[in-house]
Amino acid sequence: MYSWRKIREKLFICIIILLSLLAIAPIIHLVIVVSINGIAIFVKAGTSFFTGLPPTPLSEEIGGIAPSIIGTLLMTMISLSITITLAVFAAILTTEFPKNSISVAIDAIAKSLASIPTIAVSMIVYTLVVVPMKGFSALAGSVALTIIALPYAYTYFSMVLRSVPAIYREAAFSVAMSRWSAVIRVLIPIARKGIAVGVLMTMARIMGETAALLFTAGRFRNKVSFSPTEPADAIPLLIFDYILSPYDIWHQVAWGATALLLLAYIAIFFAVKLIVKEVKL
Amino acid sequence: MFAVEMNNVNVYLGDRQILKEVTLKVHYNTVFVIMGPSGSGKTTLLRVINRLIDTTEGARVVGSIRVLGFDVMNYDPYELRKHIGMVFQVPNPFPHLTIYENVAIAAKINGVVKNKKELNDVVRWALEKAMLWDEVKDRLHEYPHQLSGGQRQRLCLARALAMKPKLLLLDEPTANIDPVNARKLENAIVSLKDEVTVVMVTHSPYQAARVADYVAVLYDGMVVEQGSAQQLFLRPSTDIAQKLLRGEM
Repeated sequence: MYSWRKIREKLFICIIILLSLLAIAPIIHLVIVVSINGIAIFVKAGTSFFTGLPPTPLSEEIGGIAPSIIGTLLMTMISLSITITLAVFAAILTTEFPKNSISVAIDAIAKSLASIPTIAVSMIVYTLVVVPMKGFSALAGSVALTIIALPYAYTYFSMVLRSVPAIYREAAFSVAMSRWSAVIRVLIPIARKGIAVGVLMTMARIMGETAALLFTAGRFRNKVSFSPTEPADAIPLLIFDYILSPYDIWHQVAWGATALLLLAYIAIFFAVKLIVKEVKL
Repeated sequence: MFAVEMNNVNVYLGDRQILKEVTLKVHYNTVFVIMGPSGSGKTTLLRVINRLIDTTEGARVVGSIRVLGFDVMNYDPYELRKHIGMVFQVPNPFPHLTIYENVAIAAKINGVVKNKKELNDVVRWALEKAMLWDEVKDRLHEYPHQLSGGQRQRLCLARALAMKPKLLLLDEPTANIDPVNARKLENAIVSLKDEVTVVMVTHSPYQAARVADYVAVLYDGMVVEQGSAQQLFLRPSTDIAQKLLRGEM
């Protein structure tokens, strides 16, 4: 016969399982719905979905989203490289010299930047970059994405570096490593998994951002452009525009684009899991 | 000439004084043990010697400290640490490096070796000195988490030795390991005397008796008694030293 303690334990486990299932159910539902609808579009459109131009509203053909794919890749590459470089250096500085006035300023700026609405960032970049350049561009979009991703990445990297136990920093100093050498040879390698996850999360944040690009990138999807100074499009912008339209063909393209974005996230997630090994302390 | 010579050293952490007028001298090629109850400032004293105290926020050191002939407070701390190895209370081998790399990195950073053969020789020498070679010679490319706690601590000793230091600081190195490993570490420490001066912190009077040539007793940041191990263990002159030896502190 079960004792009351055992029954309570079983009940507690059941509640935990139920709550966990409830928490992940929307995500699973989302992945399934997007995959079913999106993959059907991939099959219907074939490879032209990745290489062609978007269809006209009354077109019979689904066409493709090449300008949006290239625009997303271009802006993600520019923004990610700037964001990661600045965020890692800022995180190192504030972790190693937390009381330094520059560190205090960086921390305060990062916190205030994180609270600015993304649409406001888009307006600010419109005024500071788009107007002087006399046109929308992938570069303006990248600047907006960087402003949004930077505080996010900085906060994450700071947390990762601070989570490395102090005993390893002391060990590095004890074998006569300089502070810089300790960071490069010890702290970053120990925190490599966390840093890789941070890069992935920042990338996901950049790739999925919509509002920041509304007044900066240009929503230009008539041709594929590789130039950072020309107007560009991005997959989230295309999804946003097409899903709000009254045309069924554009709805289908939006499903396909959403599935592509989702698959890209999943692929990057598993790639990082497989490639970057965690350091066992 | 002394390996370590401290005169009227005071250490403050913010408003709190951790070390008070500490004066002590450590002869070359001896094992100098610092004993004292918890919170008496033993670890701080070690961290002053290699200026690891600099990494503590709000720490301030006043007084004259000469280590291996260098004026510690007016010398580059990174250069100073090239001559001073240290083993901590908690084993802290670099977890992302293999057993071999953990020892090799210390030799490489300090320019102890010129080529791969010399590096291999130093790694082997350091692991032998730390009495670990026989246990790891076939698994040099494994990682520290695959070793026991005592083996990890001896790996830290090997890492410190690979720098070919003239002075070795040991901060309660056996506090977190089993008695068998502790004894191996003690044997290693005693055997090192010919090549390096050892300053060691310990809680245990028995351990101090086994390894020490000289002993200093620290209490509330002050050196209350110091002298040869024989003199201190046989005829302790202060009440504090007597209580410490009886295990009453």
